[in-house]
Amino acid sequence: MAEKYEIKETEVWDGNYAISQALRQAQVDVVAAYPITPSTPIVENYGNYVANGYIDGEFVMVESEHAAMSGCVGAAAAGGRVATATSSQGFALMVEVLYQASGMRLPIVLTVANRALASPLNVRGDHSDMYLGRDSGWIQLDAFNAEEAYDMTLCAFRIGEHLNVRLPVMVHQDGFLTSHTAQNIHPLSDEEAYGFVGDYKCVDEMLDFTRPVTYGAQTEEDWHFEHKAKQHKALMDSRTIIDEIFAEYGNLTGRTYKRVESYLMEDAEVAIVALGSSVETCRLAAEELRAEGVKAGVVAPRCFRPFPFDAVREALKDVKAIACLDRSSPGGAMGALFNEVSAALYSTQARPMVTNFIYGLGGRDFSVKEAKRIFMEQKAHVDAGHITTPIQQFSGLRGPKLGFFETKRS
Amino acid sequence: MAITSIKNLKEFSTNNDRFEGAHLLCPGCAHSMIVRELMNCTDDNLVISTNTGCLEVSTAVYPYTSWDTSWIHIGFENAATAISGAEAMYKARKRKGTLKDPNAPVKFVAFGGDGSTYDIGFQWLSGAMERGHDFTYICLDNENYANTGGQRSSSTPVGATTTTAQAGSHSYGKKEKKKDIVSIMAAHGAPYVAQLAPNKWKSMAQGFQKALGTEGPCFINTVSACTTEWRFDPKDTIHITDLATDSLMFPIYEIIEGHELNILYRPKNVIPVEEYLAAQGRYRHLFKPEHKHVIESIQKEIDQKWEMLQRREEARI
Amino acid sequence: MQDQDLCAAQNRGVRELGAEKLVGWDEVQQGVVINSFEGDATGIVHQKAEERIYSDFNSYTATVASWRVQKPVFNIDACIDCQNCWVWCPDSSIISRDKQMLGIDYDHCKGCGVCVEVCPTNPKSLLMFAEHTELDTALSGWPEKTKKEEK
Repeated sequence: MAEKYEIKETEVWDGNYAISQALRQAQVDVVAAYPITPSTPIVENYGNYVANGYIDGEFVMVESEHAAMSGCVGAAAAGGRVATATSSQGFALMVEVLYQASGMRLPIVLTVANRALASPLNVRGDHSDMYLGRDSGWIQLDAFNAEEAYDMTLCAFRIGEHLNVRLPVMVHQDGFLTSHTAQNIHPLSDEEAYGFVGDYKCVDEMLDFTRPVTYGAQTEEDWHFEHKAKQHKALMDSRTIIDEIFAEYGNLTGRTYKRVESYLMEDAEVAIVALGSSVETCRLAAEELRAEGVKAGVVAPRCFRPFPFDAVREALKDVKAIACLDRSSPGGAMGALFNEVSAALYSTQARPMVTNFIYGLGGRDFSVKEAKRIFMEQKAHVDAGHITTPIQQFSGLRGPKLGFFETKRS
Repeated sequence: MAITSIKNLKEFSTNNDRFEGAHLLCPGCAHSMIVRELMNCTDDNLVISTNTGCLEVSTAVYPYTSWDTSWIHIGFENAATAISGAEAMYKARKRKGTLKDPNAPVKFVAFGGDGSTYDIGFQWLSGAMERGHDFTYICLDNENYANTGGQRSSSTPVGATTTTAQAGSHSYGKKEKKKDIVSIMAAHGAPYVAQLAPNKWKSMAQGFQKALGTEGPCFINTVSACTTEWRFDPKDTIHITDLATDSLMFPIYEIIEGHELNILYRPKNVIPVEEYLAAQGRYRHLFKPEHKHVIESIQKEIDQKWEMLQRREEARI
Repeated sequence: MQDQDLCAAQNRGVRELGAEKLVGWDEVQQGVVINSFEGDATGIVHQKAEERIYSDFNSYTATVASWRVQKPVFNIDACIDCQNCWVWCPDSSIISRDKQMLGIDYDHCKGCGVCVEVCPTNPKSLLMFAEHTELDTALSGWPEKTKKEEK
């Protein structure tokens, strides 16, 4: 039996510490991990719990992130609760196995302290790693602050392990901005937290010798498509279960999350769609602009995968101009958030104006002032009746203005 | 009846197969001889992981499995880590009391070809050995990437031709020495490491049982004659393996706790390696006059290695 | 003679590989996880093949007989039950029960010929014949014991 860990009603934790506490409270059976900045403290804190008897499970420190996720897959197939943490290059090294985990329908929880991908090397937060995982078949939840990182981690176990879901789940937080910023957190007691997460329910476990199972069979052209379609369906259908579990968590904590969060959107004319800690920056900007008479609002996908096509469309249907903020170098395309939000809005009657900002790469600061400027640019589009700037722009970049593509709607 | 000792083949043959037919391995493939023997030499429950390779692509092609035990394949490189994870989960669940049958004996086994063991999965294997998981890793060493059509691996011996180290007018085939995986694994301080061969079925079964019965990470390199890429008639798999062990190209020995070396088979009549080489298409070019020196140097290497093994065995250190 | 009863176990060797029913996405397994047996498989290691209830996903229920060009024929009169063929058959196709060699599982035999090569009897108790050869024909022409050559 694990030792009792004393926690107070209000704690001052950073995102990493909050996540490691959530892992402890969920009584994870196996953590197979490899350290990388800025997610390392999650694993170190866990090591502290192991060293002091607060954890009953196995802590396997492997020799690479690829092995970390490989160990998680082997452990999860053996029937039990499994989690790990990573960032950036480590995430990239894991990618092969991320697809294997989701294809095998193993509800592993991966907590990611988002960080830029090299080259050039950078340890600061952007969303390159999060975006790299977007086609991997995982559910991706996004925390905008440290308390949400704790909340999302507990919810991740419930969602992934739900018998109608059985998919791996990533919990994202911004590297350093969230992972290393301490704030007041109101954790659940150990009993409440475990009561919410519940006992792990085995499905097709390798350690049930009454029913030997084969994991990882090959499927060629006669079968692969059907299996991938079934997996996609499960991911799409997880939307309603995520809603239910968020609602249940809200009843328990008073903190009710939605797949798409909306702030000041009731009568908004202009909006910013963003992910991560920038959501809070944009909220402050919107509040200040409201005081100045600008009807600004913020929409933030809490759930990046499955992409909330339905809820995004609903949240933005009455807005006239929208800026989609992508914190990842798009590599020769429009930003992913821009593309996906635009696609959702294309199926509405209104088809509002949408522009794209690439910002904050490698941890470049994103200020309230800049968010306000972006809002005001949207306002200018509304006043002009068309997009007055390039559709894709770089925000916060030194040197001559960088932008691409003009509107054809003026 | 528990399978504890195997006195003779008649007794062994009363064990029931847990590796099923209608897998897709080539006719005459030694892989399945080795896998069958591993699975037949114990009646414990088995959890098996397998790296990508001939064995994996031939035994779990949907909608079929040839495995009567729990089995997992993830990638080319990570069977050792997959089994580490499963073993860790077993320990955690045993402690927490969440296993369906906590008293059921279970052994953890990983299979890999030489490509995945010597090359792409080397780091994953090393990590798992260092961490000390209770498992047995068995390398099915056919000295090339047979699954993808016969490319060189770091297990391919000097002089063999492969598609990526070809013999030709300017080449006698592979020039680099075969990696000594057995020594490398022994250097990890593993409690049991061995090199075994399916023609010597008894020492192989005994070695498998020793590894399965030893707590901690054990490694066994098995010679797996490859009819397709070594180029011999499928019926001759055991004959070729006899030549391999009797020429001492594949000496059979074990290393306990990283140092205590025991030779498990001493051929009564050691045959010249030339006989072994001549029986396989992959070495045919070596018999041209200009490549004769390669055969001589292969023989020299074998003699030196055998001398070294004998001296180490005598030293008892 | 082969034991025809063992060869006739119901759920074996019935399907050619690739001839399975192609079901839709809604009917395939979650996570491509395949079960080897139907029902409780505890103690499967102590059950002979004919006592087990294999699932349709176990390759035991499929056949690779069409791979064969030549087949081994077993002559029980010459056999000494040494079990060399059993231990080295790469296709689990030697049917041995209670230390006795009973015959060849022609659903899973690929005709590699290893069993014939490792057979130590004189004459051999296993020989290769063309696939279409009748068993009676093969057995009626079985060679006599050969004298050892003087060295």
